[in-house]
Parts: sequence; structure tokens; C-alpha cells
Amino acid sequence: MEPGDSAKQARAAAQLRKGVLEYCVLALMRDRPRYGVELLHALEESGALATSQGTVYPLLSRLRRDDLVTTTWQESATGPPRRYYALTDSGRAALDEFTRVWPGFRDAVDAFLTSPHPSTGDLT
Amino acid sequence: MKTSADPVRDYLSAVERESSALPADRRQELLADLAEHIEVTRAERPDATVGEILAELGDPRTIAATALAEAGNAGAGALPRNEAGASVRRGKVHPLVPLLMLTLSLPFMMLFPDLPGPLFGVLFRITGAVLLCTSVHWTAVRKTTGVLLTAILPTAVIATWNLSGAPAGTPSLVANLITLAVLAGTAVWLYRVRRA
Repeated sequence: MEPGDSAKQARAAAQLRKGVLEYCVLALMRDRPRYGVELLHALEESGALATSQGTVYPLLSRLRRDDLVTTTWQESATGPPRRYYALTDSGRAALDEFTRVWPGFRDAVDAFLTSPHPSTGDLT
Repeated sequence: MKTSADPVRDYLSAVERESSALPADRRQELLADLAEHIEVTRAERPDATVGEILAELGDPRTIAATALAEAGNAGAGALPRNEAGASVRRGKVHPLVPLLMLTLSLPFMMLFPDLPGPLFGVLFRITGAVLLCTSVHWTAVRKTTGVLLTAILPTAVIATWNLSGAPAGTPSLVANLITLAVLAGTAVWLYRVRRA
């Protein structure tokens, strides 16, 4: 079966998202704890990182098991209590590490995509 | 998908069904997270319909697949790796193994009524029930039905029969055969509705 162009684009975006989503989620908690629906709204507004919302919960569950985040229940004036996610020390360390390597990674990919590559330079 | 009065419950049971290969604690956690999300969203956006909220959450199959992938690649810590390994091992038992153990425990006890015959029969039944419950081939509801009909019901019938001092011989044999028919019927049903 030959997937259409839009399906291929969706797959490229999904592949990219898979790698960076957890660090974006960690980054959202950098300044203060957030609850699940709040995290999903922020991802939704970013556009490129928007994903089927329900798939973020298994990710949050793994971050908790890997001890990168902790959770606490907090009462709310409106509606049910919310489970808030906050960075642990190792979560903060993982986020710092990603923050350090990301610019180099991003620049390298940009360089491949924008400048003529030596092997294709002959053709232009 | 069939509709009912409670779309949220339908949605959550669809996630439960699709994620039956997850360890039970993971599955319960996922269901609790999703239920909380639905409740919070309904409180925050009273105008949104339940259908919209569920559509935004996404396809239960996609969520279950993500959860399984997360459970599979959680190799960073020692504990998650062990849990993932356990969940892989759990699925290895062939579906016929628990069904045959449960079904054959009764004829085994009938053929060997003296000790240690019944002891082995009971062990077969308990092991079969445990294997049935930990198998990935059935949903929780089918497992419960299976254990009720193939382990608890015959045990209760036999215990009642023996304690009531009912006569041995033909009536006892008939009762045993009826129980055996229930066992075999349930086993055949479970085999038919199993997942590959």
C-alpha cells in the first residue's frame, strides 16, 4: 500500500514529535507545576506539537515512573481536584541536558536542509 | 461503534479493551488519567459536548498503542524493565493451557477419587484460573466470567454436594457430568472469543 503525500508528511511530523515531546512537556513544568489538561492546552496552542490528547497521558505516566516528575493532587475552585505534575531534580537535569544539546542539533539539521550539500552541489 | 446512554463509559471500556496487554496497574492508571481529563475538561468547558471532548482525546486504539510502546521502551530504570519483561512473559502461555487445565480438573478428580487425586485436581484448577487471569488473550470481563464458570461454580457445587451428604452413585455421576458440560462449554466459548 502506497501512503499518500499527506500521510507521509504526517509521519514525518509524528516521528519528530516522538523525540522531542517529552522534553517540551518537561519544559512546560519548568516554572511551576501544571495539571494534565493545562499541559495539553499548551501543546495544542503550539500547533506543531499538537497530538491526539490521550496519547500524552501514557507519556506522563512514564515520566513519573522514571522519576522525572512527581504528582500531587490539588483541590480546585471549579470542578474536580487536579493532579499536578512537577519536575524532580532528575527531571530538571534531563531538561537542562536537552536544552544544552538542542541548539547544536537544530543548527545541524538546518544546515543540511538549507545549504547545498557537497554531493548535490554539482547539480545546482 | 454501538451507542449507549454513557459515551464516556463506552470510551473508557474501549481503551480498557485495547490496552488489555498492559500490566493491570498501568491500565488502571491510564483509565484514571483519562477519566480525570474528561471530568476536568467538562468542568472547564461546560459548552463542549462529551462527543467533542472524546474526539479531542483521540482514538482509543492510538492511546493504547502509545501506552504499550511507552511500557515497552521504559528501559531507563531497573524496575520498569522488569515490569516490561514480566508483561511480555505473561502473554507466552498458549490459550489452550488454562482452558484444558480448568476443564480436565473435574474428570481427573472423577477418575481418581482417592488422595492425592482431588489434590492434583484442585491444583490444576487453581493454576488454570491464575493462567487464565494473567493471559493476554481475554478481556477482564471474559476472564471473570471464565473463572466463575470453570473454577468457582464447580468448586461450589461439589462442596455443597459433599457437605449436604447427598448420595453417591448415579445422581452424583449425573451432577458431575452436568458440571463437566458447563466447564467444557465455557472453555469452548473462551477459546472462540480469544484474541490471537
